[in-house]
Amino acid sequence: MQLNPSEISDLIKKKIENFDVSVEAHTEGTVVSITDGIITVHGLSEAMQGEMLEFPDNTFGMALNLERDSVGVVMLGAYQHITEGDTVKCTGKILEVPVGEALLGRVVDSLGNPIDGKGAIATTETAPVEKIAPGVIARQSVDQPVQLGLKSIDSMIPVGRGQRELIIGDRQTGKTAIAVDAIINQKNTGVKCIYVAIGQKRSSIANLVRKLEEHDALAHTIIVVASASESAALQFIAPYSGCSMGEFFRDKGEDALIIYDDLTKQAWAYRQMSLLLRRPPGREAYPGDVFYIHSRLLERASRINVAEVEKLTKGKVKGKTGSLTALPIIETQGGDVSAFVPTNVISITDGQIFLESDLFNSGIRPAVNAGLSVSRVGGAAQTKIIKKLGGGIRLDLAQYRELAAFAQFASDLDESTRKQIERGQRVTELMKQDQYSPMSVAEMGVSLHAANAGFLDDLDVAKVRDFEAALQSYMKSEEADLMQKINDTGDYSDEIKKGIQSAIETFIKTSSW
Amino acid sequence: MSELSTLARPYAEAVFKIAVESKSTSDWSETLEFLSAVMQDKEMTAIVANPKVSQEQLTTLILDICQEQLNEQGVNFVKLLVQNDRLILAPQISELFEAYKAEHEGYIDVEITSAFALTKDEQKKFATTLKKQLGKDVLITTSIDNALIGGFIAKAGDKVIDGSVKGQLQQLAKKL
Repeated sequence: MQLNPSEISDLIKKKIENFDVSVEAHTEGTVVSITDGIITVHGLSEAMQGEMLEFPDNTFGMALNLERDSVGVVMLGAYQHITEGDTVKCTGKILEVPVGEALLGRVVDSLGNPIDGKGAIATTETAPVEKIAPGVIARQSVDQPVQLGLKSIDSMIPVGRGQRELIIGDRQTGKTAIAVDAIINQKNTGVKCIYVAIGQKRSSIANLVRKLEEHDALAHTIIVVASASESAALQFIAPYSGCSMGEFFRDKGEDALIIYDDLTKQAWAYRQMSLLLRRPPGREAYPGDVFYIHSRLLERASRINVAEVEKLTKGKVKGKTGSLTALPIIETQGGDVSAFVPTNVISITDGQIFLESDLFNSGIRPAVNAGLSVSRVGGAAQTKIIKKLGGGIRLDLAQYRELAAFAQFASDLDESTRKQIERGQRVTELMKQDQYSPMSVAEMGVSLHAANAGFLDDLDVAKVRDFEAALQSYMKSEEADLMQKINDTGDYSDEIKKGIQSAIETFIKTSSW
Repeated sequence: MSELSTLARPYAEAVFKIAVESKSTSDWSETLEFLSAVMQDKEMTAIVANPKVSQEQLTTLILDICQEQLNEQGVNFVKLLVQNDRLILAPQISELFEAYKAEHEGYIDVEITSAFALTKDEQKKFATTLKKQLGKDVLITTSIDNALIGGFIAKAGDKVIDGSVKGQLQQLAKKL
């Protein structure tokens, strides 16, 4: 944008003219000590818990420890210029971040400042970072699906709008990959996505942004970044900031999906802050309220009913429910889900997608452990076709797991056991899916039907994926109408069932895989 | 600083209670002020911090310095402070004592810094308006700071009322 000097001076002139000369009353304190991002301030007798405090040179801190004579403050950002004896002012405000449509497609830090070099964010609305979750009356049960676009997850561990589904696994098991696929799959569905990166490398965030751009998925996504180089306080508040941005969409009757990648690092940041604030350490040196930091955050992901949306929008939006679906990510160490933070988050969420390095290394990607993964509420939200077909897949895999140990004695087994093992192997193979290639409901329906109806049983295991790929491209070119119909209705009526059946039969006759 | 006042609080509270009981708050106030002045002396702080100076020597020294300033209770108080190794807290105790005294007597200390000297009339006006604002009698002390350019800053404890040109310029700078 080109600005000529006269415009600028006009702007400044206007601002000066409108400037309201008022006597300012505030509460003041003095800096006593500065250690590792924690500042002790003497005075400030009227400071509130979580209040923003103003330091010299437009720097801000958040009051966390209120004691009789002093206030413990964590700094948000650089604090090197602050010295002992500086004055600190109360602002009377709880930390706020900008919210609104203008944030979509942008990369921001924990305070909502743009860091993608695309200029200022054109929004005037702000929302407090910490909000209380909607009450019981405002809520509605989960009954619409969020399609993550992954066969193994959508068929066996479905996620509904407003649900909290944990993605848990060791490092390098594809946790972020699932999240990214989920974001890509929300393209054209109207679901807004928020990706909160906590304590990650800047380079991996840059990669992720590029990937989303490549797949045209950045336009409906807000990326909130508190990278590893940022202060613990910023890493701690990043999820809450992202959540406030997501709640903006929920509260106006839209659907949003938020991914916290990952909450383990947030708990670490909080542990660091708490120890520096001299709060007593508990299990694994986490402070006593580490459960609450996650429970209050995840409780804000919810589905709210029509009346609440109408109330929040002051009657502007009628007849629509709003939802915020959360996919928190937790990284375990050596597959240990019984550590403190993983057990906490497992108990808070409505189910978990459990990823295993063994599966990942043996080539099963996404490395979902179908036995340990559950979705406690998603079943009610599943599309009919996926629900009907997914049940069979789940059963096949469960039976296969029981018998898998005998698989090596294949020749000595009775007919039915051998069949079950073979079916299981083929279904496992079918559940594999490439990254960045989410599938539509119809595509999934066709693949699952092929498995359920036994079309895979005569195939060589190694050929299953080729068969699937060829089948999908055949369906796309030859049966576009049928596919469109399935995508539109999500039904598994007799007519659709017959349609898929006969289409696959015709396809098999071509033997083109 | 904050830790020192936490340590000083029980002493200040105790002294204040005695003072109220014996109705000698102003006497005690003088005593504590004197003691704090003594303790802020550089040589004195060095002596107090010196481990070679024994508690007896220290007690005699301070009692010698203070002599007529101290009544019987005052002497006991100094002995107690020496015994507990808390002589260094004298300034904080004095400060807290004054705060308790002000609260007890229902007035508040207000420090007004202005760019130019205040006339008697202006001081009176300040006193009445501040009394309305704070709901207490005010005891005004004034000082002059040319850096304010114009206007005033009134400080009552943690509360600050900034009506200075400097403060307004800072506000303007933030807006731009």
